[in-house]
Amino acid sequence: MIPPAVRITFDGDHRMFHPGDTLAGEYRVEGMQPDEAKAIELSVLWYTEGKGEEDLAVHFFERREPAGGNYVDLAQPCRFSTRLPNSPLSYAGRILKICWCVRVRVFVARGKEIFAEEHFRLGEVPTPEIVLP
Amino acid sequence: MSGAEPKRMLEQAQWPPQPARDKAAVPPLASPAALPGGPPAVGNPFSTRPTRPGALSYLFSPGETPETILSRLESQGWWGEIVGPHGSGKSTLLATLVGALQDSGRRPITFAMHDRQRSLPVDLEARADLDAARLIVVDGYEQLGRWNRLRLKRLCRRRGWGLLVTVHASVGLPRLCETAVSVELAQRVVEQLLTASGRPPLASDQIARSYEHAGGNLREMLFDLYDLFERAPRR
Repeated sequence: MIPPAVRITFDGDHRMFHPGDTLAGEYRVEGMQPDEAKAIELSVLWYTEGKGEEDLAVHFFERREPAGGNYVDLAQPCRFSTRLPNSPLSYAGRILKICWCVRVRVFVARGKEIFAEEHFRLGEVPTPEIVLP
Repeated sequence: MSGAEPKRMLEQAQWPPQPARDKAAVPPLASPAALPGGPPAVGNPFSTRPTRPGALSYLFSPGETPETILSRLESQGWWGEIVGPHGSGKSTLLATLVGALQDSGRRPITFAMHDRQRSLPVDLEARADLDAARLIVVDGYEQLGRWNRLRLKRLCRRRGWGLLVTVHASVGLPRLCETAVSVELAQRVVEQLLTASGRPPLASDQIARSYEHAGGNLREMLFDLYDLFERAPRR
């Protein structure tokens, strides 16, 4: 039995975007019965990574829920599209990193969920050189 | 931006979320460094993201499982304290237990206390809607003032709620378990993190040095390794 999985793809397989570009793509939920998914959420978000508390902000959000007592249609890929903001730009510093990704969370029974993330880069801030003393 | 997710995040900040039980089903994070022409080389395996409680799996002693500990908690009337020094995995264990509680019929309400936070952020006394199947979970129980701890205990008794807390030294609640760190455990944790991020293993003497440097505090050791990872030549 194949474990449930979420596949996210970007149009043109691009991973590099500039502010104002349109990020578009689709996601598929595989290995799951149609009535298993209680809701699906897609977020385009950035988060910080480092040794401290994470910061996180959602730029774009969509939630799919069963309509009229039916179930979420998992048979078809679901498309998404959003215009990317001017900031924050992706950054890979030593103390702090800023990461952008598309995250899909599929909520199933008993509060469980599966999720997937696909990272992309916004802007062209170069990776800083480390200067040793 | 839709308002739904930010609202949920606010709720989670007040009532921290339960960790996903299906960790095994969660696909590993993409390795951004490996993406063609893609994102910056992010993904330090020792950053907060993969090491925070709930993301990092607690490594149980042989013979212990979440179920055996919860069974002990149930036999204690759902009251218990997890005792251990700084950085020994109390919060990580708690996150694992809270996840396992989903199936036990006890519905946890979790509070993560911060420095100098002397009271709970919610007035539980006023929450008549909370039934007796609740389990109040307080991570960092010692932060609460003495009077607030007493009030909380009385409230839990009166309402039939369970009470599960983490502390550095016993506060007189029934002992559920103690957390302790060893260099062997530290090595297993590092191995777990590196495997999950698809990185090659670290030499055991390097881990032992970081462990010593951090004074046996696992959290500090992971911070030490974060710096070590960042000092390594970038690809």
